[in-house]
Amino acid sequence: MGSLQQVLAQINGVLLGKSDQVRLAVACLLAGGHLLIEDVPGVGKTTLAEALARSFGLAFRRVHFTSDLLPADLSGLRLFDQQLGQFRFEPGPLFSQVLLADEINRASPRCQSALLEAMAAGRVSVDGTSHELPKPFCVIATQNGLDQAGTSPLPESQLDRFAMRLSLGFPPRQAEAALLSGKSTPLNGLTAVITAGELEELQQQASRVACEPPLLDYVLDLLAASRQGGVATGTPLSPRAGWGLVAAAKAWALLEDRSYVVPADVQAVFPAVAEHRLDGGRPAQEPGGYSRQLLAAVEAIR
Amino acid sequence: MIEPLARRLQILSLSLLALQLLGSDWQSPLCWGSLTLVVMASLKVRNAHRPADLRRGLLAQLIALGVLAGLNPNLGPGLVQAATGLVLVAGLLAQESGGAGNLRQMLSRSGQLLVVCLPLLVLLFLFIPRLGPLWPQAELGRARTGLSEQLDPGSIAQLALDPSPALRISPAQEQDLPPADQRYWRVRVLDRFDGQRWRAGASQGPAQAWAPPAPAPPGAAQQLWLVEPSPLSALPWDGSGVPLNPQITSTAKGELLGPWQTQERRSYGLAASNQPPAWQRQPPARSDLNFAAGSNPQLEALAEGWRQQLPPAQRLAAAQALFQGQPFRYTLQPPPLGEVAPLDRFLFGSRAGFCEHFASAFTDLMRAAGLPARVVVGYQGGSWVPRNLWGRGYLEVLQQDAHAWSEVWLADQGWVRIDPTAWVAPARIRAGLRSGLAGQWADLGLLRQGLPWLRPLARSWTNLDLAWSQLLNYDQASQDELMQRWLGPLRSWQGMVLVVGLALALTLAVGILSLLRPSPRPDQQRRRLDRSLSRLARFQLVPQPGETLPAFCQRAAAQVPELAASLKHLQSSYERLRFAPRGTPRDQERALSRDLGAADRELAAASRRVKRRPVERPQPPEPR
Repeated sequence: MGSLQQVLAQINGVLLGKSDQVRLAVACLLAGGHLLIEDVPGVGKTTLAEALARSFGLAFRRVHFTSDLLPADLSGLRLFDQQLGQFRFEPGPLFSQVLLADEINRASPRCQSALLEAMAAGRVSVDGTSHELPKPFCVIATQNGLDQAGTSPLPESQLDRFAMRLSLGFPPRQAEAALLSGKSTPLNGLTAVITAGELEELQQQASRVACEPPLLDYVLDLLAASRQGGVATGTPLSPRAGWGLVAAAKAWALLEDRSYVVPADVQAVFPAVAEHRLDGGRPAQEPGGYSRQLLAAVEAIR
Repeated sequence: MIEPLARRLQILSLSLLALQLLGSDWQSPLCWGSLTLVVMASLKVRNAHRPADLRRGLLAQLIALGVLAGLNPNLGPGLVQAATGLVLVAGLLAQESGGAGNLRQMLSRSGQLLVVCLPLLVLLFLFIPRLGPLWPQAELGRARTGLSEQLDPGSIAQLALDPSPALRISPAQEQDLPPADQRYWRVRVLDRFDGQRWRAGASQGPAQAWAPPAPAPPGAAQQLWLVEPSPLSALPWDGSGVPLNPQITSTAKGELLGPWQTQERRSYGLAASNQPPAWQRQPPARSDLNFAAGSNPQLEALAEGWRQQLPPAQRLAAAQALFQGQPFRYTLQPPPLGEVAPLDRFLFGSRAGFCEHFASAFTDLMRAAGLPARVVVGYQGGSWVPRNLWGRGYLEVLQQDAHAWSEVWLADQGWVRIDPTAWVAPARIRAGLRSGLAGQWADLGLLRQGLPWLRPLARSWTNLDLAWSQLLNYDQASQDELMQRWLGPLRSWQGMVLVVGLALALTLAVGILSLLRPSPRPDQQRRRLDRSLSRLARFQLVPQPGETLPAFCQRAAAQVPELAASLKHLQSSYERLRFAPRGTPRDQERALSRDLGAADRELAAASRRVKRRPVERPQPPEPR
């Protein structure tokens, strides 16, 4: 899987000292899921999103979400074309392979819900007509912490549609030193390592990674534990969460160059996949607290 | 809960058991006992809701099967019993394996288990001391038979023909047998007559001044006799051979008595002897002249005439002339004779009957004429079955060859065999019952004799059956002999040999089972891993909840670096076996399974090499 390693190396060259998060983000793309990056401003959220899109050679549009953003600003408009004498659909920024949604939690709920259909079904309905989005399609959204000014929390239904939520955190001292001394690759120097067609192929390859009954048992036990309430859990995990967990674990196994999933893969992606669904947008005292407790409660040797 | 396959298999085994019960001897209480067990097992299986119910039903069926095996030890039933056992074990397996596997797999697994049990079975067969019957079985039911202890010609209107075998005589070669019309195999002597029926008198058994038969002359031709179960205590013999088993004695009347109490198939050897048998010279008792005067007046009047006019030998000739001159007819469907003067009505009225009628009428005539006479029942004839692949040739005598004839005491010759049936129907004696009946029984024994291509098959089967029953005849005496031969005088070794042998057989069984073991099922793989990991317990290394195998191995390797390599091996082989996609070739799966075993051994060896040393308390795991 040389090309995937190249992608990882290239992004790590831009975003210093964050290899775990980079790996998770790439796994998220391979699993065909949408990615939510949450953190305080200035730690490289947008850089990561853009580096991902560029490295995979995806056509991307960037939308900065503000409180006055309207749904039509995302999906597009029906305009009257005077030359043709009829209405014409003018596609909005959604019609791209990657939508970089900056500061998604600054937009109104109405506008966020315009994203729901696009994220779940890969199509947009405007004035009663459905329009298919290009393939592959994914949303990479960034958001500021809830305690930041001018934000409104994402509804749970939309949170559930994000396959992963990552938070970057401050870089380690050495990485920050390298950053300050200008040793990181500039973003616009990035070239596509993988084409969009190759990405689709890789996504299919990831979906073919074997997931044997003992492993599914492990995943099911994790889901069941989240619903039991014996452990201090937040919102129970939905079947969609389980599906996303398996898909992400498969992608992780593919990144590890393995043709089957082992429990360690599940554990590696679990906090990123589950935490935002468990806390329902209200983070636990300790970062990743809910998923950590669940992992510690379910036997992992299968 | 209850596996449907297990239930279906139990229904199959229940019907097999019911079939065997149908073919069993209903006079035996054991048969009723096993019927009860089978009925109870059917109810249990029908209403089973929990696996325990099914297991209990199965246990009842196994016991019933054991009882049936005791009742019907012959080869044919034995095969059916083996099949039933196979189905029973398969049913249990289907339940216990939780539906993992189809019918074919269950049956073959069950067969493997039974095969593995074979060494144990042979060992127990050879060494377990034989118990005698716990209660006398003499009155326990009556086996099928062509013979009975008494003879009542007046009461029989129709004699059913039973083509099942009665005895088999296996001489060294066919020439050792007497010619066809001399094949009289005597069983019982009936010497008491009450005007209607003949019975055996009080036994002048071996206790009564009777010298034991001379020991068999060395080098004499030997015959092996095999007798099907019979209610009579007397054994068939040719009247002159010497029993090889000293426990078999002959009586003054010329009956052979065995030491056995039970009704089972018996075999014994007879050595040919050229001396006239002693019973032939044993003088008659007064009762041998008793003809219940007045019971058959017409017959007695005729005989009285002979007695006054003719010398003894001439009286015999007169009787022969009577039977040959009058239109006597041999038939198996004689008209009933009634209770009053039955022999008169036969001799001067119907003149139709079979051997019993002829023998009793003739014997009564002779007694009334003043000659000591008695009726002998036994078998006559038999057909030669040539040797084939599995055994020596033998003479097969069927139940329908049962016969009755007379013996008359002539002062100068002793007891002389006279067969009045031979005067009337010589073909019956020469060539068997079918010829004697000439066309009356055209369809008789079609299967046995009719289909030529079936005959070799039937013979092979009979030979196998013969060998099987000789094997089953292994009793306490043969066991003693074998022990004597193997262990010499030290009989106390038997227990030790039994114990050591049992251990060996069990080891062998376990070994064979582990060889036959298919690739372990997932939960077994997990158990193997747990076993391996438990080797680390002495380093106080125990997987924490939520700790993955790689994490645990890493932690363990950090703490005990000597184990790092083997832990790595263990982790990778386990994960490949456990999580790699199924549908890999079977041998590859086996290889993976072996690899896990090798990793386990490596770990065991490595952890033995590590010296015990104090370890710091295990850190709680840090899941990612």
